[in-house]
Amino acid sequence: MPTALIADDEALMRDQLRARLHEAWPELRIVAEAANGVEAVALAAQHKPDIAFLDIRMPGMGGIDAARQLYADCHIVFATAYDQYAVEAFEHGAIDYLLKPVTLARLDTTVARLRRQLEHKPQDIGAQLARLAQLGDQLLGRAAPSSKPSYLRWIQAQSGTSLRMVATSEVLFFQSDDKYTRVQTATAQHLIRKTLKELEEALDPDEFWRIHRSTLVRVDAIAEVRRDLRGRQMLTLHGYPEALEVSRNHGALFQQM
Amino acid sequence: MAAVQINRALDFVRDAMREAGALWWRFFDWLALIEWRQLYLVWFLSFVAGLFVNLVEPAIWFILVSFGVKVLAGGKRRAELLARDASSKADVANLERRLTEAQMATLQAQVEPHFLFNTLALIGQLIETDPKEAARVHGHLIEYLRASLPQMRGAMGKGGTGGTLGKQVELSRAYLAIMQARMKERLQVRFEVPDFLGSAPFPPMMLQTLIENAIKHGLEPKVAGGTIVVRSRVEGATLHVDVLDDGVGFNLHAGSGVGLANIRERLALLYGKEAELVIEAPVTGGACVSIRLPYRMTEDG
Repeated sequence: MPTALIADDEALMRDQLRARLHEAWPELRIVAEAANGVEAVALAAQHKPDIAFLDIRMPGMGGIDAARQLYADCHIVFATAYDQYAVEAFEHGAIDYLLKPVTLARLDTTVARLRRQLEHKPQDIGAQLARLAQLGDQLLGRAAPSSKPSYLRWIQAQSGTSLRMVATSEVLFFQSDDKYTRVQTATAQHLIRKTLKELEEALDPDEFWRIHRSTLVRVDAIAEVRRDLRGRQMLTLHGYPEALEVSRNHGALFQQM
Repeated sequence: MAAVQINRALDFVRDAMREAGALWWRFFDWLALIEWRQLYLVWFLSFVAGLFVNLVEPAIWFILVSFGVKVLAGGKRRAELLARDASSKADVANLERRLTEAQMATLQAQVEPHFLFNTLALIGQLIETDPKEAARVHGHLIEYLRASLPQMRGAMGKGGTGGTLGKQVELSRAYLAIMQARMKERLQVRFEVPDFLGSAPFPPMMLQTLIENAIKHGLEPKVAGGTIVVRSRVEGATLHVDVLDDGVGFNLHAGSGVGLANIRERLALLYGKEAELVIEAPVTGGACVSIRLPYRMTEDG
């Protein structure tokens, strides 16, 4: 008798799929139900199901990452309510999927296909899954590990008893004082202990430029560069009254502009 | 014939006068704006040039006249010119503002398809198993869409404000009720918003964005789920509206997203420096995001 595992973080959706499967394929035995990817992998190791029905978005570990650990031993069918990127990929590849809410007609097709496939070993969909995982990470704005250096996007500044989070996209410039580094935004000023050098290494070099020994400025905040009477290059910023000096060493940044 | 000639002569004289006037004003503006240091240099050069071509006297006249004009009228004219420059800059700023608002309106227009489809799938399942609950969730969904679809929101007030805190809280309740139906025991919700604050004006879709962020980035990734607290209070003349969650907290290397940047920009457009978006990482974990803006009791009060 064929066996299956169902993974979905929403209990009602598991109920729905179980009920539909019971109608479409009475012999199929649901041996385990998981609420997230980690659970799914653990339960699959324990119960060795022939088929795994995996929701794509689940907390902790999603369906695609879970499938990457399971596909060698069981047939994978994905379920999703919306993930358009994945649906498109499935349509062009060999991976089966169900759209929620699952209709009986669609499920019949999947069941017929699974019945045929069960006689063979699960096909190798590793490469497709890897590509999908990458695509999903991009879409969700998660930094793909290792492939690209990930830059600092939040600055933490102590403020009384709490920790203020300042998005780097909000910062106008960093300026080093004696002991601290000053973080200037359009509305506020914070002091942090990170040195300018540490910041420069952690931040996206396309987002922040060093214009002076003691100043790191966000490129998008720059309104204008002009020379004052003493021939120094001065930067004016959007939303900030004072101009910043560009030191001679860094003047080359603004030539030909 | 004579009349025609006279007319021509008059035209010529008038044109010449106008040209001379324009030139004079140009000279005047130049004088008003030029730095004294540069003016000294010009004087020196014209004097030297005068010596060479034997026109010392006109050069001295030029120096005296420009000195007089600069001293007597330069300051005023300069202020005038700078003011005109500033006001034209203000016009540009105004235009930019309207442009930004238009962009905002489209940015705000996003109902997450993922949310919509998942909720519809849920309702479909509930119709079979628990029709009463299905009707309840269905009602919340309608309430949510009514307030968050841009076409529907257009009627509530154009662009910026036009909403009240009460309205926004109602919308959030509807949204969170749907999320609770989906996430079950993984999501707890608490509202700490005093009734009397319900009438306070509050821009649309800001609270909603904070709550969606708390779910999406804080609680959904957390296997055990957690609690969202929406609380509001008045401190001095400032209305605080906070959204707290005990989710996974901040990823220092993931961007803050369009949502928060959008709120920040809208706050700046609507209230200038009087409003603020404060993001904090509590020591207990999770996230606390706070919108602070000038408190008014009612729309016109």
